[in-house]
Amino acid sequence: MNQWIGFFKKEWFESVKTYKLLLVLCIFGFLGVLNPFTAKITPALMENLMPEGTILNLPDPSALDSWMQFYKNVPQLGLVVFILLFSTMMSKELEKGTLIILLTKGLRRSTVITAKFCLALSYWTLALTAAFLITYMYTAFYWDQSGLQHLLFAASCLYIFGILLLAVTLWGNTYFASSYGGILVTFIAIIVLFAASIFPTDVAWNPLELFTVPAKLLTGEAAPSDIWIPYVLSLGLAGCFVWLTVLHFKKKLL
Amino acid sequence: MNTNLDMLMEYLPFLIPLILLQIGLAIFSAIHVIRHPHYRFGNQVMWLLIVLFLQFIGPLIYFVFGRGDGNGRTN
Repeated sequence: MNQWIGFFKKEWFESVKTYKLLLVLCIFGFLGVLNPFTAKITPALMENLMPEGTILNLPDPSALDSWMQFYKNVPQLGLVVFILLFSTMMSKELEKGTLIILLTKGLRRSTVITAKFCLALSYWTLALTAAFLITYMYTAFYWDQSGLQHLLFAASCLYIFGILLLAVTLWGNTYFASSYGGILVTFIAIIVLFAASIFPTDVAWNPLELFTVPAKLLTGEAAPSDIWIPYVLSLGLAGCFVWLTVLHFKKKLL
Repeated sequence: MNTNLDMLMEYLPFLIPLILLQIGLAIFSAIHVIRHPHYRFGNQVMWLLIVLFLQFIGPLIYFVFGRGDGNGRTN
């Protein structure tokens, strides 16, 4: 356990020194402010841009609009940024060979993978919490959000999907040992999920549902019980990918 | 004119953090690019342009993929 904590600390310092903390805070802070801003300014912009005389019946922006923006921006921009940021977590050390010294001194190989995954996970937690809290505060200040349902659960859907993507990236990155490997594998995984979602099924199972469902959860169109399959499936798959990574890394020639 | 100013005041609580974060990160990265003139690929002018004009994605690409290793500081 001491080894694990030591290695985790090393990873933490590395991420701070390579400006990952700064980038994550800046980008997700920006995203957090952007959501209520877009929701608030869109009707005003539309009014100004339309030729004079046109009567627009735009409803006033509400708390729901702000959260819709959140579930549009964070998966699109936020997740892409996040995957890019952590796409080199294994390949950098594999290319430079800095891990060999630690491993020959008796560091367990599974420790390397789990510590790195946990660090990425803590960063994802931090990033999503920051964006969520900022959007929440702005929205609470400008609008009444008592009508929204399952606010936290909807955010947790996004969180779970992020974990799955991180696990896939980690696996691709370790398997191909290049910075592009992780990104490519994640990209292919998303395409496969999209392709699979074309075929309609009776039960929702596709982890991509976790993207579309938060908006419905907020308005009450969907209940949390509707999506327990993708929820559990994503968590299980993420666990599988981390396990696969550990298995592969134990046999990897460095 | 007056209405425009009112509108600006109304959106100020949004605009200040947005602009601060955006410009701040761009300037911080630009300083880093200038003070560490060793990159994994590309040259200084290219990285300066990327960092200053691609919002957020530019600094991110620079710090993750473009930043050179070691103590490249010249002063």
